[in-house]
Amino acid sequence: MKNLKLKKGLTAILSAALITTFTVVIPSTARADVSCTEVSKLYSDFSYEECVGTDFQGANFKIRMPEKFNGTLFLYSHGIRNQVLLPIIPGVNPDGSYSRVRNMPDVAPGRTAADQEANALNLLSQGYALAGASPRNQGWAVPEAIEANLNLLEEAKTLYPKIKKIVSWGDSLGGHISQSLSEQYGVIDATVNLHMAGSASAQFNYAGDVFWLTKVLFDPTMKGSGYTNKSPNDPEGYAEFLGDVTKALTVLNALATAIGRNPVAPAWPETATNIPASLKAVPVRSAILLLGLLSGIPTQSQTYDASSGPAGPLETTFGVAISPALAVLENYAAALALGTVSYYDAETRCGGIVFDNTATDYAARLGDNGDIFAAALSGKTATKGLLGFLNPLNPAAPRVKGDAKAIECINNQSQYAGKVTVPTITLSQTADNITPAGYVQSFKNKYSQMVASKKAKPGMLLNIWNKPPDTYTKFTARGSGIAPTVPTTGTTHYMFTNQQVMAVAKLAAAAAKTGKLPSVKTAKSAFKGDASIFIDPDYTPALLPQDK
Amino acid sequence: MIRNTRMKRFSIVSVVATVGALVFSTLPAQAADPGVSAKEIVLGYSGPLTGSAGQVYGKLPGAMKAYFDHINANGGVYGRKIKLVVRDDKYLPTLAATQTTNLVLNDKVFALVGALGTATHSKAYVAASLAKKNVPDLFVNTGFSGFADKAKYPTTFTILPSYAMEAKIMAKFIKETPTLAPQASFLIAQDDEFGVDGVNGFKLAGHKFAAPATLYPQGGLSAALAEGALTGLSAVPGKPVLVLFGTTDSTATILKAAEKLSLVSKFTWIAGSVGGDANTLLALGVKPATINGALAASFFPDAKNATDSYVSEFMKINTKYNSGVSFDNVVLQGMNSAMLTVQSLRAAGKNLTRTGLIEAIESKGAGFASAGLVPLNFSATSRVGYNGYWFGQLNEKGELKPFGGKLAIYTTDSASTSAPTASSYERKPVPKNGVPTNS
Repeated sequence: MKNLKLKKGLTAILSAALITTFTVVIPSTARADVSCTEVSKLYSDFSYEECVGTDFQGANFKIRMPEKFNGTLFLYSHGIRNQVLLPIIPGVNPDGSYSRVRNMPDVAPGRTAADQEANALNLLSQGYALAGASPRNQGWAVPEAIEANLNLLEEAKTLYPKIKKIVSWGDSLGGHISQSLSEQYGVIDATVNLHMAGSASAQFNYAGDVFWLTKVLFDPTMKGSGYTNKSPNDPEGYAEFLGDVTKALTVLNALATAIGRNPVAPAWPETATNIPASLKAVPVRSAILLLGLLSGIPTQSQTYDASSGPAGPLETTFGVAISPALAVLENYAAALALGTVSYYDAETRCGGIVFDNTATDYAARLGDNGDIFAAALSGKTATKGLLGFLNPLNPAAPRVKGDAKAIECINNQSQYAGKVTVPTITLSQTADNITPAGYVQSFKNKYSQMVASKKAKPGMLLNIWNKPPDTYTKFTARGSGIAPTVPTTGTTHYMFTNQQVMAVAKLAAAAAKTGKLPSVKTAKSAFKGDASIFIDPDYTPALLPQDK
Repeated sequence: MIRNTRMKRFSIVSVVATVGALVFSTLPAQAADPGVSAKEIVLGYSGPLTGSAGQVYGKLPGAMKAYFDHINANGGVYGRKIKLVVRDDKYLPTLAATQTTNLVLNDKVFALVGALGTATHSKAYVAASLAKKNVPDLFVNTGFSGFADKAKYPTTFTILPSYAMEAKIMAKFIKETPTLAPQASFLIAQDDEFGVDGVNGFKLAGHKFAAPATLYPQGGLSAALAEGALTGLSAVPGKPVLVLFGTTDSTATILKAAEKLSLVSKFTWIAGSVGGDANTLLALGVKPATINGALAASFFPDAKNATDSYVSEFMKINTKYNSGVSFDNVVLQGMNSAMLTVQSLRAAGKNLTRTGLIEAIESKGAGFASAGLVPLNFSATSRVGYNGYWFGQLNEKGELKPFGGKLAIYTTDSASTSAPTASSYERKPVPKNGVPTNS
């Protein structure tokens, strides 16, 4: 009986082929300042109506309403998009994604556009309505996105009064927006946050640390922060920013080349002009790893698992000492575009430097990682030397003094506080390179504090984790790591399968109806047989160094 | 009739209930903690089975399993059989974290036993949330003194004496040995918490080396580096004392460098307990003549000493349950940890819980029977296992004989400047047939 039901469900999804599309433009009468176009799409098994429009503040939105609506609407917030435009740069912006402002809404998450559409259709076929908005301004646009979502909800409820329950969900910064919306307005019945971004402070300190460490260790000619910002879209600041992107890319290429030539003792790049000769005796891979550990870049990436080594004499050494550094390097390269653009966006948004490390004790920040990665850091003496170079009194490693008003501004962007009052589920990756796992732990800690002070309801937060396989690095015959064609699950920034997204959506929809969080047992059952998922309330990923 | 039938039914139900109650009262109660049932206790081990460290320590879980098989064949622990789930972490921190998490979440072990390595286990302990889950972490095989920090590792019990203790006792040994004391001494050590612990121990003992220590990262001691260090020391007059504070593969690299440079007889070699295992040194290609006369510290009887009652008993078990595996210090260590585990489980009682197990070791662990020639120090405030060493001299066969022909045992702590003291500790007799009966 159970099998039959499952078969029917699968058949319904697989046979959801688009038969025809009718487009009917109907000016909305709900609000004078919103124009709404309705598109009816008829599938073999279901049909839905699509409404697209722009609210009075210029945010675009989209609503999809299935013919057989079950009363629950999924409100989706997309991740951060660039406000600043980048030219096409190989390795950073190869396809021009960052060369245009993208403020069209999406209605469902997915790794690719095709996945997003598949997930959307799957939910529509089950009778769920979908909606999403995208504000006029992008970047760290949390307040604008929340307002756009509120406007959208008002519009949706006016158009479709049968909406009874609302699940707010989003990924990356969209998760942050979704959570903030859920906490600050009593209009959400359940929340799902996919690889949710950390607080503004955490995210921009993460980026700030990465750039500062890159600058002082590998290329002191980088600006790193404090881009000229005399006027909106200041061309001088923009040129400085592009210069830094190019320099960072040059450094990354030089580091990768050096490790390719000599993985055990790679040489420092020529641009590392401030590093004394005594420190250059330390293999540069140790400096790369140190940069990762001090800033919070994961030591596992899509290619490197920090464990495997090529068969032969280097096998163990590679796993313990080389693989973690390569993972940091790969994660850094993958996050470069998003990190630089986001950071520059933040400076222009708030009119100053949003990062300050004048009081940071990098030596203390290393903590137990100094012991755990002692071999990869080339021993305690080498580590001490590198940390000594970073000390605040070293004129070759000048600290960054932030702009207090700008920092206050970026930290005052309507961010979540852990005031969870409705069932809330997070789905995150243990080795996410842009929103590291520690951000979820920080959120958990905030939630616990709010529960303790009776500002949040207990038993309302469930954390689900997506992890990589135990080992996964593959090697060429010459011993180089082979980058997978599809990023390894648990790594990079969005590696959820559509099945995982649907499972978590189903849990959230049920929670929205009942007002109760699914039990761990129920959640585990929803992901049964999925080896990349684990649910362990005791799992405590390390906080980002900036959050400790 | 009706009444009789009812009475008969009632009687049957009563008898069944009574018999059931009797049967169940003789069985251990079903505990709520994972990994323990009426019939079985599931334990987990994460350590190197493959890779370079696997060559040295790969025998450890097999030895533990052999001992547990022996116990299972003799009725188990209060009727429960012990199952040991073994996972290979290749001595790599990230993989150790993964495998330990797998043991806890997937294999649902009741406790961990014998985890090996400092970097590996410190990462694994946090990653697998052992403290939050209250998973007993028994007899960790590392001398890093940090694991004795009960606040940080509330479920951990160490087994090896700390590296700091070892260094303090080495310093005393050098100072009080007439042939060594006048000679210049030097230290070649691993540049991590292992070596740092040792360096701190020498500092606490007030020992002055003739030059700053030569430090190398784990796995980073090349033949060229070793040859350079020895060449630099070869001009030192007399017969300098060279202390090697690293893993066995590093000791082997240095000794082979000495062979190549014909400098073996130039130095008096002192190898730490971790790096001085003769069998492994010989297996790694060090010549028997090279180790002949080298000094090494130990807290165990020599694994080649079949006249030792514990060694003898463990050898029998090894022959029966670990077929084809040669008996050496690693096997001895594994079986000893397994025997301590069985005593801990017995001491925790029939109603086995994680909390009960931890409390049992705290309250009774110091009195467990053990092959160690030095005392165990478990208590409500101490998670330290052994706390002392004796010094021996290796011969060409790899046997470690007491230095000067007499066993002299010293005990000390990891943190104070107080000198090691001579110990009169006498260990408990080996349990009959190697099967503990404590409670």
